[in-house]
Formats: sequence, structure tokens, C-alpha cells
Amino acid sequence: MSSLLKRIFGTIIEKPWEPERAQVDDAHSGQTFDLSVQKSAVIIIFGIATVLFSLIFTGYIYSVPPEQDTKYLLKPNLLWINTFVLFCISFYFSKVNKGLKRSEVIYVKKNLLMIGGLSYLFLFGQVAFWIQLMKSGNFVQTNNYFSSFYIFTALHGIHLLGGLFFWGKVASRVLKIKNEKILEEEKNISALSMYWTFLLVVWLAFFLMIYVFNDAFIEWCKTLVA
Amino acid sequence: MSDEYENKSGYQAQSSETISGDSPGISPDMDYVRPAENAEQDLYHPHSFIEKWVFCQDAKVIGVQYFLTAVFTGVVGLILSWLMRLQLGFPGLAGFITAEHYYQFVTMHGMIMVVYFLTALFLGGFGNYLIPLMVGARDMVFPYVNMLSFWMFFVAVAVLMASFFVPGGPTGAGWTLYPPQTILEGTPGHGYGILLMLISLALFVIGFTMGGLNYMITILQARTRGMTLMRMPLTVWGIFTATVLAMLAFPALLVSSIMMTLDKLLGTSFFMPTILKAGEVLEYGGGSPILFQHLFWFFGHPEVYIVALPAFGIVSDLISVHARKNIFGYRMMVWAIVGIGALSFFVWAHHMYVSGMNPWFGFFFASTTLIIAVPTAMKVYNWILTLWRGNIRINTVMLWCLGFIVTFVNGGITGIFLGNVSVDVPLSDTYFVVAHFHMVMGIAPLMVIMGAIYHWFPLVAGKMLNEKLGKWHFWTTFLGAYSIYFPMHYLGFIGVPRRYYEMYDSPYMTSGVGLNEFISTAAFIVGAAQLILVFNIIKTLKTGKKAEQNPWKANSLEWFTSTVPPEHGNFGDRLPVVHRWPYDFNVPGADEDYLPQTAAPSEVAHTEVEKT
Repeated sequence: MSSLLKRIFGTIIEKPWEPERAQVDDAHSGQTFDLSVQKSAVIIIFGIATVLFSLIFTGYIYSVPPEQDTKYLLKPNLLWINTFVLFCISFYFSKVNKGLKRSEVIYVKKNLLMIGGLSYLFLFGQVAFWIQLMKSGNFVQTNNYFSSFYIFTALHGIHLLGGLFFWGKVASRVLKIKNEKILEEEKNISALSMYWTFLLVVWLAFFLMIYVFNDAFIEWCKTLVA
Repeated sequence: MSDEYENKSGYQAQSSETISGDSPGISPDMDYVRPAENAEQDLYHPHSFIEKWVFCQDAKVIGVQYFLTAVFTGVVGLILSWLMRLQLGFPGLAGFITAEHYYQFVTMHGMIMVVYFLTALFLGGFGNYLIPLMVGARDMVFPYVNMLSFWMFFVAVAVLMASFFVPGGPTGAGWTLYPPQTILEGTPGHGYGILLMLISLALFVIGFTMGGLNYMITILQARTRGMTLMRMPLTVWGIFTATVLAMLAFPALLVSSIMMTLDKLLGTSFFMPTILKAGEVLEYGGGSPILFQHLFWFFGHPEVYIVALPAFGIVSDLISVHARKNIFGYRMMVWAIVGIGALSFFVWAHHMYVSGMNPWFGFFFASTTLIIAVPTAMKVYNWILTLWRGNIRINTVMLWCLGFIVTFVNGGITGIFLGNVSVDVPLSDTYFVVAHFHMVMGIAPLMVIMGAIYHWFPLVAGKMLNEKLGKWHFWTTFLGAYSIYFPMHYLGFIGVPRRYYEMYDSPYMTSGVGLNEFISTAAFIVGAAQLILVFNIIKTLKTGKKAEQNPWKANSLEWFTSTVPPEHGNFGDRLPVVHRWPYDFNVPGADEDYLPQTAAPSEVAHTEVEKT
């Protein structure tokens, strides 16, 4: 981070009109960061998604009164299993990345397929949890806790579906090519990997704050406001 | 990071105040260019009329598509403002304008002008057309996504316009769409109207995100060789920073649109408190309308700068080119753009002083609001100092630029009034506020748009717009706009409230009647005066003088394309290589009064560059 700040401030104090600066600038490649455009896109999407989810959290904290705590939800349940599935996806991504780093591409196709399958399993699990909630009489309009819960899980699911769209494009290409050509897809695969890591981080933040430690979190927010 | 500058040519920095190109220290390979590292971009060239002009992936065509669609919405917004002024100036003259219709016109006018016209025009229109050209790229980095971005915008506009034709008409809740009244009975368009508005906004944000991704990555990662960030024209800096703001602010609009849609459709209560209606408790409860206001203005205030920053950037370039002088304080201009962008996220609650807040919050937001005036004022000084002793060409473009400076200062100063809580509270919801924001984010950016049209039309169409018609267009618009908004300040001071359908027998009417008639007449004339531009464009396209390449003798890369207008791919076989910033005007010793960014050091070895 500090090197990034140094870079930013270092850049904006340059004097482009000075001849000696011009000579240095002439040797510039035109690229600001040593990143592929795919990875750059994923990082920017992270930024936007972080703001989006933070605002939902803020809205949740702002509008959930104390009597709407998690007494409605039983723990543990399907949500824990879904969280475990997300961890498994990250595990398989780390295997893919390690393989690509060592140029061992033999399991990349299989692992990519596992990632897709587990992601769909996660989505299926989320929908199943929604059905469970609704069967127990907890709908989106029941109270603000459940409204926030549904909207967050829905947006997270849409976010994952967006990732699965690109996973589909990359996976279909990787499956068609021979193993020795897989390394050419490294940029796309590592961009996907970053995307899923972000999905896991957002999910964990949500899971811990609104679900696992919800009561404690609300208490903490109240002391903060007080 | 690869932004390390590799001094491969082995040049040594020099410290003399004025450095001559052929002074000691310049080595023989002064035209050294770093070898290209990135592969050439694969462009998808169109194969049919539809691929070339409808579902096109060329950023320039997409820019024109954005521009025309935004102008269409702008014309709708203009007609709505005429209808509003008709009612305010001459109440009852047009019988079809009921109170409900009036509120619908106000709402749609506001939303259209701010989001669908100005934002789309600056970022979608100018952004798409100018970014790849100015940074020396063949196209945006994701052309297909860029095309989707425009079509998403198009669908958003179609959905918005559809709300005029649904039962109940468009929403009449005011452009801020404050709940709870927005979705409750009694507000015009509380059924389909508000739903279509919210869906349209969500589509707009999704579409813009696709475009914004392209603008940011193209600027950061796909510039041509030698084009450092600090060699970019200020237009690109303005568009870039505005895009960053939009990417961070629009999620707030998206979240609030989704939440309000759920409140409306599924009966959630994100923004809905417990409500008693005719003695009955509604099913809503537990939500906060103030939360919506926070979310809306967290988007809404940066939105002002999303419109203003590209305008700042563009006007800086226009002033520099048409005053034949380098922009004064380039670095300060960049810092100011970035600083304003950062500060714009810490001022939103100055729109909510009358909503009720902790006095310390009021103090905080008043302070940040006043602080943001500092970088803004720096920019104004720098524009004036760029003009100072410049070789100013008083052409149409320059007139629009001068008009912008005056108007922006005017609107900015009234903004300082309103930033103070104690002054804002009595002036809140009066015509003073209407006058302020129309001056600062309506007329001022519009002047820049007009200047930019006259400046870049030769590039886009290959023909020069008629100067005489341009000057008529400017003076009618400029004087007309002041005739509209100056009197509004006075109306605000005497307490005339905004958003009122009619003043009835209120005491405001004594001095307000004549002024309202005058303002309305001026509004009709200014609106109609825009036809001069339409006529000018049609006449020019038919019989206009052919533009030579680089008719304004500018330095930036967009004027050095292989053809005029530029073809797909922009720069022919080889991308340009940049050797200097875009503001080398009237350099001592140079043959011409400008040095293009592509001019290699050996071509201008006898020139002297003065340090500023």
C-alpha cells in the first residue's frame, strides 16, 4: 500500500514540461501497473462491489432495531455447509494456481470443473436455505433483519453468477485446448481466482457480522453509536 | 509495477532554468523510444451496416451513439422545463398542466438532465470518443463490453421514457425520490411510474459500470509509449477522476433503487417507518427514510463532480489551445481534480441540513463543503492565468469557455452561501437553491459541452462549423441563461419556495409575477436558440467548409490520426509515440506556435523550453 501511495504521489509531482523529465518520460511504456487488463478489471470490480456491500451493511446497521436480532435463526445449519463449500472452492483455486506456477497443468481442467460444480452447489444450497427460511415463516418482508439477509444473499448470489459466466467462458476454452497450451490462459484463470477469493472474503464478512456474531455485532454497533 | 521509468538512454538531469535542446547533456539518440512491449490490440472490424453503426464496437461510434441518445433525453428535459415555466410564468394558460403533471415534469426534468443527459454526455459521449484518441490507443480495452454499456444505457432510457405512457404516468416525487411519499398513494406515478424509474436507474448504473471499467483500464493500462499519466491532457484527467467517482458513488444509487423497489413490490421496510394512513396503520414499519437520503446524497453529491470534473478538464484544454498558451499550473490542475474528487465524498449531508442532524455533523459537513472550494478556486485562478497574456483567439469556442468561467464562479459563490448551515436553512427549498445549482451544474457544464462541440466537430465530421452562427448561438444562450437565473436568486431571497405548482395569493406574488413572466419568456427563447446549433450542424454537414487536419493547431494526439474523421483503429499502421506534454504552445525558437505531442526532440532541437 505504501509503495502504491508513493507511486501515486510520486507521479503527480512530476513536471512533464521540463526537458530532463521529458527524456525520462520518453522511455515510458504507457502502462501504469504491471497487471493484465483482466486482473485490472477484477480489481476494479472488487472496488465497486466493496462499496456496494459496505453500503448494504451500513443500511443494515442503520435500520435494524435491537429486537430484530438473530433469535429467528437456528445455528448450526445449511449456511455453515455452504460456507464450507466456498472454502473448498478456494482450496481448488489454490491448487490450480500452484499448478500453473509450477507449469504442472495436468489437473487444471479437472480442478476448474470442480470449482464450477461446487459454485453451483453453493448457489443451490443458498436457495435451499431460503426455502427453509420461508417454510419457517420468515419472509423478506417479515422484518428488517430478514430483508437485509435476503437482499445480501441475493446480491452475493448474483455476484457469483456473474463470476460463473466468466468461468464458463474460460473453462470452455481451457477444456478445448491441449494441456501444454493451458499456460496461455494463466491471466484469465488467475483473474478468476482473484474474483472467487473476493467472493469468499465478502461472504465471510457477511456471515460473521450478520449471522455468527450478530448479537455481539449489534451490541458493538450500539456502543459505537453511543 | 511497471511504471518504473527506465532511463535507458542514459540522459542526465539538468538543472539550468532554461534548457536548450542542443545544450550539452543531450545525447545523440535523443529520439530514443522504448520498444513496444504489449501486443497490438485485436480489433473486431464490422462486416455489415448493422455492425458498423448499430451494434458497433468502435469507441468513437459508441461515443456518438451515447451523445445522440443523451441529447435526445436532453431535448425531452428541455421541453419539460418549458412546460414548467409555462405554468410558473403564466399559471393556468395551459389547462392540461395539472398539479400532478407539474410534479411529474419537475421530477423527470431533474433526473433526465442530471443523470441521463449530463453524465451520459460527458462520460459516455466525450469519454468514449476522446479517451482512446487522446491516450494513443486503438480502442477501449474491452470493446464488446463497451458496446453492451451503450445498449444498456439505451434500454435504461427506453424504460424511463416508457414511464410517460404507463397508467398514472411517470413519478412525480421530485428527482430526489424521497421515501416514504414516493411509493405511497397521493404521489403522482406511485405505481408503475416509480417502478420504471427505479428499474431504469439500476440499468443505467449497470451499463455505466461496464463503460467505466473500460475508461479506467484504457487510461491506466493501454496508453501509447511515452504517454505518462502526467503527459495526459486534462480532459483525460477529468474524465478519469469522474469515472472513479462514478464507480464509487453509483453503487449507492443502485442499492437504494433496489431497496426501494423491494419496499414497493415485496413490502419490505428498508426506508419505510410505521405509517398511519386515515387512522389505519400500514404494514410498513421499522425502516428509515433518512437512510435513503444518506444513500441518495452519497451518490448525489459526487454526481455533481461527475459532471463538473470532465467539464473542468475539457475547458482547460480548450482555453489552452485557443489562448495559445500552456495551461497555467498543470500539476495544480491535476491535484485539484483529484482533490475535489476525494473531498466530494465527504460533503453529501450539506443537502440534508433541514432533515435534522446532530449539530456537530452540520459543522463537519459545512467545513468540508467550504474546504472543497479551495481546489475549485485554484482551478478558476489557473484558467484566468492561462488567459493572462495569452494570444487569445476570440472565436466561438473561446466565448463558451469565458462564459463557463463567469457562470461557474457565479454558481460557485452561491454554493458557498448554501454550504453554511445558518444561511442554508432559511434559503433551503427556495428559488435561490434552484438558481445556484442550475448555474453551477447546469449552465456552466452546458457551456463547456457547447465549446467542446465547436472544438471537436471538425474532428468528428471533418467540417468546420459556421463561426457567425456559433457566436449568435453563444450570445443568445449566455444572455438568456442569465436572464433566467439571475432573477431567480432574488426570488429565493424574498422567500419564493421551489417545487410549488402555483403561488396562489401568497405575498410572494407581488414582486414575483412580473419576474416569473420574464424568466419564462427568457427560458422559451434560450431553448429555441439551441436550434441555431442544430441548423449550423445540418448546414455544415451539407455545405460546410472542409476541415484541414488539426485546424486549431492543437498538440494532443486526437488531431494526429491517420484520417479525418479517424477510422477504426485510429492511428493507421503504427501507434503514435509521445515525446512531450500537450501544452507546448509558443515555445521560444519553434517554427510554429505549437509542438505536437508526437514531435521528437531532434525535430525541435533548436527550441528552448521555459520552466514554469
